[in-house]
Amino acid sequence: MWKYLLEKEFKQFFRDPGLPKMALAFPVLMMLVFPFAVSMDIRNINLAVVDNCMSTGSARFMEKCTSSGYFRLVDLCHDPDEAMALMDANKVDAVITIMPDFDRQIGTGKGFPAGIKVNTVNGTKGSLGAQYILQCVRLYLSENGTGMQAAAAGIDISEKYYFNPTMDYKLFMIPALIVIAITMITAFLPSLNIVSEKEAGTIEQINVTPVSKTAFIVCKMIPYWVIAFFILTACLIIAWAVFGYVCRGNILWLYLFTVLDIIVMAGLGLLISNYSNNAQQAMFVIWFFAMVFMLMSGIFTPIASMPDWAQAITYVNPMRYYADAMRAIFLKGSTPVDLWYDAAGLAVLGTIAVTAAISSYRKSE
Amino acid sequence: MNAIEINGISKSYGQVRAVSDVSLKVEDGEIFGLIGPDGAGKTTLFRIMTTLMLADAGNGKICGLDIVKDYFRIRKIIGYMPGKFSLYQDLSVKENLEFFATLFGTTVRENYGTIKEIYSQIEPFADRKAGKLSGGMKQKLALCCALVHKPSVLFLDEPTTGVDAVSRKDFWSMLQRIRESGVTVFVSTPYMDEAAMCDRLSMIRDGKIIGTGTPEKIVSDYPYGLLSVKGSKMYPLLKALREIDGVISCFSFGDSHHLAYDTSKTDLETILARAREAGFADCTAETATPGIEDCFMQLSGN
Repeated sequence: MWKYLLEKEFKQFFRDPGLPKMALAFPVLMMLVFPFAVSMDIRNINLAVVDNCMSTGSARFMEKCTSSGYFRLVDLCHDPDEAMALMDANKVDAVITIMPDFDRQIGTGKGFPAGIKVNTVNGTKGSLGAQYILQCVRLYLSENGTGMQAAAAGIDISEKYYFNPTMDYKLFMIPALIVIAITMITAFLPSLNIVSEKEAGTIEQINVTPVSKTAFIVCKMIPYWVIAFFILTACLIIAWAVFGYVCRGNILWLYLFTVLDIIVMAGLGLLISNYSNNAQQAMFVIWFFAMVFMLMSGIFTPIASMPDWAQAITYVNPMRYYADAMRAIFLKGSTPVDLWYDAAGLAVLGTIAVTAAISSYRKSE
Repeated sequence: MNAIEINGISKSYGQVRAVSDVSLKVEDGEIFGLIGPDGAGKTTLFRIMTTLMLADAGNGKICGLDIVKDYFRIRKIIGYMPGKFSLYQDLSVKENLEFFATLFGTTVRENYGTIKEIYSQIEPFADRKAGKLSGGMKQKLALCCALVHKPSVLFLDEPTTGVDAVSRKDFWSMLQRIRESGVTVFVSTPYMDEAAMCDRLSMIRDGKIIGTGTPEKIVSDYPYGLLSVKGSKMYPLLKALREIDGVISCFSFGDSHHLAYDTSKTDLETILARAREAGFADCTAETATPGIEDCFMQLSGN
């Protein structure tokens, strides 16, 4: 009987005009487009300079900034108000004002006579822009500042990034994108599928046959589990073939955590379908969960920088554990022993979700 | 043994009482009709009998099996065709049929004899997707799928709603032949004219059974005289007729009015005379034989 139920699900899946193509396009799109699109490397910060000194020193400083590749010099102004007007019109993101005594002060080492204004309407761009400018200042000083040189040497700051030495954002995002894809596929597609059988009335026709509800539901989910593993494998292959990224840890652990995540998501998907009578309702609930899961998972913004109450919420977010584990395995080569915390979180959430789903499902009988 | 036996079944949805205290007995091998307007509680009763829903009160047996305790065994011996077409639209005719056969642990070939007569009509379209069939063919496919495992009892919930007159006639003759092969048929319909095709029937209104029996018995039990009245101004005439002494009820029936009167108080001539007095000079009346619809109106008025 299971065999026929599965056969039917696969038949319907492959017969669907969109689903098989989507399953193929999804990993490709995710690996080849999204890592670039969601990159937080900021380039092309529009810069305006108010040069009140007009010396070779100030010109060299400007060149330092523009040659870094992060800035695009939009305008050279003579008047600070003019620069401010440009920022108000959203034409520039940062303004550097160079004081008339620029050369002299640098020479004596008294200070750095320039003002920096940054537009932080886009917070990320603003804060990173400010950092880049300061970096240019530091570089400039270490090369040109006479009196400053001693001080600059004294406070030499150097960073070393572990596990992702070049701070490559793509490498950082790839495991996270896999996490998002697998969650979508294993939780939300099966629940939409079950709800659509409800809408069509076919679930009723199945219910009057001697097919157990468990068999029916499990057979509904299996195809999506297969697709999830297909996507995981395809993403790993693309990451290796296109970007040359190799998982530092044992690939098996990636699959292990994926299985744990699938259990949580199966429970959640069934819960959603139990409480939705039509696709519209289900879609809204799914959208709600998808947003919360993604934004509070640490995938885009670090959990540690969230306020305490928001951090508390992330403890019930399965994506938090799954994303953390996948990144650690992929970038650091962690093992489940190191990640017992994530495994436990997923196991607890999985038990709760599956139990709640089964009990609410029985009630609807 | 009775194929279906239910006692005191009640079911409420919140404040709405969908079915209240319904008891029925359906004998083996008969076509039993459940006649009633939309919203009378027919589908709720079907869902309870087919083990899809639990009743708030009452008990029932299908072929001797309890509808609550033995629900799983019941599912093996009944066929159910819901009012709404609910087969897989993206599977072909053949795939649907084979799928439902395997769910019951059988094959199409094994039971081909049972469905042959109906299936042969749609067999030329065996590879067409179920969603692309015409209404009448969909209905035949649904019937095949409900019959493919040789059920003892076949439940048909409003099978003829939205089907054209010729197909409806066809469908009822198919039911007659299914019955001849030994299957008990329990069918609901909102069409009063189909009642005469049943061996026995129950009339349901607002969740209550208001009368049960063979069509002949129900008609012969009609306690009043019945007239078919026609006139030029139909609606004022209807209102005037209702005011006449001894008239029990009057409602429009096709192109005439059916008027029920108490035979001990009045008769055709008196009523006609009164109607003419009231200004309907061109009004005519003749005695009519009561049909199921007249009986339904009479019983639901009580």
